[in-house]
Amino acid sequence: MLRDITVSFAPHISKRLSTQRVMLDVLIGLVPLVAAAGFYFRIRALLLIGVCVLWCVGIEWVCNLIRRRPNSLWDLSAVVTGVILGLSLPPALPFWTAAVGSVIAIGVGKMAFGGLGANVFNPAMVGRAFLTASFGILMTTWTVPASIDSAMPKLSPADAVDTRTQATPLAWSKTAIKNQTEAKTYSRRLLLSTITGEVAGSLGETSAIAALLGGAYLLWRRTIGFHIPAAVLLAAFVFGGIAYLIDPDAYVSPFYHLTSGALLFGAFFIATDPVTAPLTRRGMWLFGLGIGTITLLIRIVGTYPEGFMFAVLVMNGLTPLIDRLCRRVPVGGLPRVG
Amino acid sequence: MATDSHGRTTFSRGVHPPESKHLTEDRPIEPGPGVAELSILLSQHIGAPCQAAVKKGDLVQAGQKIGECQAFVCAPVHAPVAGKVKELALRPHPVLGRCQAIAIEPQEPASPTLPSFSLPADFDPTRHTPQEICEAVRDAGLVGMGGAGFPTSVKIQPDAKPPKHTLLVNGCECEPYITCDYRLMLEWTDQVLAGIRLAQRACGASKVFIGVEDNKPKAIDAVGAAIKRAGSGSDIRVVSLQTKYPQGGERQLINAVLGQTVPTGGIPPMIGVVVINVATAAAIADAVLYHRPLTHRVVTVTGEAIAKAGNYYVPIGTPVEALIEFCGGVTEKSAKVVMGGPMMGLAIADLNTPITKTSGAVTVLTRRQIGQAKFERRQTACIRCGRCLEVCPENLSPTRIAHAVRSNLLDVAQSYFISACIECGCCSYVCPANIELTGYIKTGKIFLARQRKKMPA
Ligand code: SF4
Ligand code: SF4
Repeated sequence: MLRDITVSFAPHISKRLSTQRVMLDVLIGLVPLVAAAGFYFRIRALLLIGVCVLWCVGIEWVCNLIRRRPNSLWDLSAVVTGVILGLSLPPALPFWTAAVGSVIAIGVGKMAFGGLGANVFNPAMVGRAFLTASFGILMTTWTVPASIDSAMPKLSPADAVDTRTQATPLAWSKTAIKNQTEAKTYSRRLLLSTITGEVAGSLGETSAIAALLGGAYLLWRRTIGFHIPAAVLLAAFVFGGIAYLIDPDAYVSPFYHLTSGALLFGAFFIATDPVTAPLTRRGMWLFGLGIGTITLLIRIVGTYPEGFMFAVLVMNGLTPLIDRLCRRVPVGGLPRVG
Repeated sequence: MATDSHGRTTFSRGVHPPESKHLTEDRPIEPGPGVAELSILLSQHIGAPCQAAVKKGDLVQAGQKIGECQAFVCAPVHAPVAGKVKELALRPHPVLGRCQAIAIEPQEPASPTLPSFSLPADFDPTRHTPQEICEAVRDAGLVGMGGAGFPTSVKIQPDAKPPKHTLLVNGCECEPYITCDYRLMLEWTDQVLAGIRLAQRACGASKVFIGVEDNKPKAIDAVGAAIKRAGSGSDIRVVSLQTKYPQGGERQLINAVLGQTVPTGGIPPMIGVVVINVATAAAIADAVLYHRPLTHRVVTVTGEAIAKAGNYYVPIGTPVEALIEFCGGVTEKSAKVVMGGPMMGLAIADLNTPITKTSGAVTVLTRRQIGQAKFERRQTACIRCGRCLEVCPENLSPTRIAHAVRSNLLDVAQSYFISACIECGCCSYVCPANIELTGYIKTGKIFLARQRKKMPA
């Protein structure tokens, strides 16, 4: 009767879940953001994301060939990195620059560490950091969304503002919001624009609604826990709130901090990258609070208008330490020695 | 009591595997097959193995003691049927691989008859002294029938420090597929209850709780009704628990019902609690009231590939193959045969492996289900998603332990409390990277045990 018996460790059944499915869920969660980017920045946005994905996947394939490792493209993690990198870039970035960023993201940020699961830093952020350091001007050239071209015709890539030239701290804190000229006449309308996404900025970070939609999907699928996003947003809100209370003329309202820049997009999609975040819940809280605080610190007192990327990289570096600090204690307490 | 957000009594964390109990839950206990040879393993429990008390060619009576040892933590074995000792030889063992066994050729290979149990009208546990009960239980070779197989007599002895104040009866049966305890609670209710009261008398516990998962409402009702019938049993309470795996783990059950935690590395008696399984309780009644040794047990033979799944009353020593054939064989060519349930059961390589005192089920998994086992699925590196931590009922960090074992860093594994793992399998069950976390942890424990043997501290 039985011709072929299999033997293995228990458990003999398993939940229908795979790394591929987890990554696929992240990609589904990213759909609203990609759609928003396509809506506001038109075909160029999609092309830019496409370039990033293609290069990320290609480089991973090549690295596997060189390292004589089995092909790992099926797990979709390279695609996720590509999309997130693409969404974090300014719309007018030349394609070749995006390609360079992708090569660094996967080659240096991921494969050099040993591939999926072994990398310390978020690969997409490594790629973006490299681009920011090497091509500062290109990386801070913001175009306004195509959908409001007629309303705000003054801005075009050519006369876009290089944020690093902003001078006084007071002016700077206002202009830290991406749409530099609008910040002066900061109004409810602008806050509304940051929610819908009708502002200048990187592809994925303009629309708060899209980020929330995608984030909600991830939370619903339990692909991510609420801990990290909640901690990031909480820290940002509290920190921004304190600054605002101290001097409402010098600093923008904390709501503005939440809806503008990469904060929402990053809180749900970048900071939650499981590989580079702590394992324990307590660790996740620390990690998220750290990211929120550093981001706001950079926004308010630093020289860059947006600090999310650096905040993530710093906290990625601290993750092993956080994990060591937040060891779990068994249910029965620490075992008695001896 | 510990409760979840819906007010159901439970422990924290854990998983919800598909229950799959519908295959056998409505099948009454029936006699199993008659076989040509029974192999009584000499090590069916935790503790010292038995020495054979018979020789090749000896004739044995049903219920005759055929193996025992003098160690404190040990349980003798008995011949289930009258017959001839065919040989003393090695036989496959679900855990140890091979083990010395006594092979008995029954006089007539007939199906066993279901035992009759009628509660004596004047049943009163206080008529038996704790001593008597413990001795009868020891003589009958009782061990925990739910899994580990710790000798019951040692468990239910009265203790002075700390005194045993609570008796917890495990009727959870949280493993998917298995229904033998459920059927016992439904059909042999009075016997189970009598055993519980005897165990209570022996250990001197003042409180008794019977924990049953809420997917078995009929069992909860049946046991509750029996308690009412018994009248004086008002100190016995049935507790309905949330259906969640591993609710029936000793430490989880204590936590759910009593809200207490057993110290890491400790055992329930350290906090004055005794946990016995319902099948063991039934056997205690048999042993004390009728002096019947533990020679038979109810086994659930189940799985989608089994033609006639059911709950069968079989002599201990029945080879798994005979059981499967009796149930109409397997409808597929390849499968995995598991002693126990799919979460913690042991896959066996040899179908001649005999049923032991602790085997509550034979689960045959189909090709499709095998494909769900970790090693068959595509693995990736750990993506540190934290799911294994979220489900670990002991609040460990499975991925850390498993990776330490894989890198042969046993001291790191210990620093993550490898020995606190109850090997429930929840972590492997959820891991999206399909890493055999539980397998690594088990391997690490074996390495550690070997190391300790080589270098006694
Ligand atoms: S569940 Fe698997 S992938 Fe997730 S942290 Fe644990 S071992 Fe890693
Ligand atoms: S580490 Fe051990 S106790 Fe925790 S889930 Fe895994 S097998 Fe169960």
